[in-house]
Amino acid sequence: MYDMSLTEEENLMIQSVKEFTQTTIAPAVKEIDISGEFPWDIVNKLIDLGLHAMPVPAEYGGPGLSSVMSAILAEELAKGCPGIATTVGANGLTSYPILLTGTEAQKKLYFDLLMSGKLAAFCLTEPNAGSDAGAVATTAVKEGGEYVLNGQKTFITNGGVAGVYTVFATQDKSKGIKGLSAFIVERDRPGISVGKEENKMGIRASNTTDVFLENVRIPADHLLGKEGEGFKIAMQTLDKARPIVGAISVGLSQAALDASIKYSKERQQFGKPICANQALQFMLADMAIQTEAARWLVHRACYLIDAGLPYGKESAIAKTFASDTAMKVTTDAVQIFGGYGYSRDYPIEKMMRDAKIMQIFEGTNQVQRMVIAGQLLR
Amino acid sequence: MKIITCYKWALDEEDIIIDKQSREVITGRAKYRISPYDRNALECGVRFAEANGGEIVALTVGGPETAGSTKDVLSRGANRAVYIACPELAAADSAATSRALAAAVNKIGDFDLIICGEGSSDNYAQQTGPRLAELLGVPVVSYVSKAEIEGNMLRAERKLEDGMEAVETPLPALITVLPDINEARIPSLKQILAAGRKPVDPFTIEDLNLPADMIKPLSARLSTQGAVTDRRCVVLQGDGAAIELVGILKSEGIC
Ligand SMILES: Cc1cc2nc3c(=O)[nH]c(=O)nc-3n(C[C@H](O)[C@H](O)[C@H](O)COP(=O)(O)OP(=O)(O)OC[C@H]3O[C@@H](n4cnc5c(N)ncnc54)[C@H](O)[C@@H]3O)c2cc1C
Repeated sequence: MYDMSLTEEENLMIQSVKEFTQTTIAPAVKEIDISGEFPWDIVNKLIDLGLHAMPVPAEYGGPGLSSVMSAILAEELAKGCPGIATTVGANGLTSYPILLTGTEAQKKLYFDLLMSGKLAAFCLTEPNAGSDAGAVATTAVKEGGEYVLNGQKTFITNGGVAGVYTVFATQDKSKGIKGLSAFIVERDRPGISVGKEENKMGIRASNTTDVFLENVRIPADHLLGKEGEGFKIAMQTLDKARPIVGAISVGLSQAALDASIKYSKERQQFGKPICANQALQFMLADMAIQTEAARWLVHRACYLIDAGLPYGKESAIAKTFASDTAMKVTTDAVQIFGGYGYSRDYPIEKMMRDAKIMQIFEGTNQVQRMVIAGQLLR
Repeated sequence: MKIITCYKWALDEEDIIIDKQSREVITGRAKYRISPYDRNALECGVRFAEANGGEIVALTVGGPETAGSTKDVLSRGANRAVYIACPELAAADSAATSRALAAAVNKIGDFDLIICGEGSSDNYAQQTGPRLAELLGVPVVSYVSKAEIEGNMLRAERKLEDGMEAVETPLPALITVLPDINEARIPSLKQILAAGRKPVDPFTIEDLNLPADMIKPLSARLSTQGAVTDRRCVVLQGDGAAIELVGILKSEGIC
């Protein structure tokens, strides 16, 4: 049976994250959005709560949350700040390659770092390898018991704040995607440097940087899976992580809808609240319909992951629909707020800026549609 | 060191709706949660235990719904939860509550310190703590905004209307704390997951030999009406405005 009920513990976790979002994140978001500085004080508290390590299994000291629970908690965080939710999401994204293919020793190495309070980053994208992730040019050369990595990664979430990376590099460019391999790389290895922080349109609380690898030596046992499996690992990881981008998008949509409902009841024009106009009521209803539909697509994709059933297509559908919805709902929210929606003194325009990235990262929505169509036409 | 922290499983007032016409207090949709000052009481106990070692027993008495409070309180750092949950205690006043608590404390046995919130979020009668101390025959320090333990002494600052008072008392003792005493931490995911593995002891009024008339409320609430503030915005203009204003204030009984 498809059971959508939550346990008492799960409800308490939601309560904890709601409280954290309201008391710790919400009061700080405006200032962080202006400064774009990484909010270490908030992130450290979030680490204390264990929110940076949601998928880490209990045997490695983590909470071992299901995908459904990770999505619900990501949504709650995103209601307060999608940038902070993205920081958390990137940690999950980086954990999946290890969960999917890691050996016992690799899991211990990586999860120990996470549980000691470190952040993680997933290093796939390069200046000339975006949607075409198989075009990765960073090289990995085996020398004795080590691999030597050289190259440049770009747009890396947590790039400048992470303690550990998963890095994708090619061992043989002529083999195309079959030449890629995946590695665990600790931040403190010689040869790693971080570029300047991107000055972004939205999710300004999150840290996005280039990561440079110059003759970085790692032990051979840091290879994830087998040589040549890198592309497969990257794609499996992204399939698994995409519903979380969907969940962050749902949090954004819900926050925009809630703010719109409140404002439309308070704002008076023509001698009555603006929500007395059917035109606005129908906008609110459509925002609610789309948000709710997005939420259940996300939860269903997560349910499939937790149940061990195929989820690639559903995960792409959930990410695409939820992020398109967030863009639409936040745009409508600005419309409902009128001129005040366009003002930086109100929190609404930030939501619209934050929403845009959800359609771009972890595979653009065009690429998602290619994936979905590919599955339909198989 | 054994610390007992008392808490009330009270309705969340944010979920309570007041009907503007009838002034009826509608609680149908309200959920229960730990009364906020009691979270500070528990946090105070947890910090003492972190600093000095020891065990924290979280204790509550109330209606049948109280049984559902244990995981919440255990996720906040208590080592063990004890409750009495029965219909007889559903409408308990401070007198009945403190008698039931005293019986439970006696069954729990030797304690060094009992910590209560200054008052509960629903009634804020501020009586349960002092009554409990009286029943147990231990000193009580109320309005505590700061407390520390040194050996067998508890030093506390009391925040009173006209100033601060520094007091000390030997243990065992009971304190009632204000929210100023600390910022109650939010439970972590792992604390929540661990809560289900901690011991819970449901006590019954039969176990405690509590006769029915001991836990009967001394006072009864006959009715409750919500407070409704009616705001109006009247703009007076022109030469006669001041006189008009005085007229309105008089008719409203304000001057
Ligand atoms: C804030 C932020 C954080 C990020 N975090 C990470 C991270 O942590 N790790 C990481 O590895 N990467 C990360 N990225 C990179 C992100 O995943 C890429 O930006 C994304 O995959 C798109 O690649 P691109 O920017 O090179 O765009 P391009 O691939 O150049 O695409 C440009 C446009 O062309 C379209 N397009 C491209 N190819 C096709 C096609 N075949 N058919 C139809 N349309 C097509 C795209 O949809 C897009 O609209 C992040 C990016 C940003 C902005």
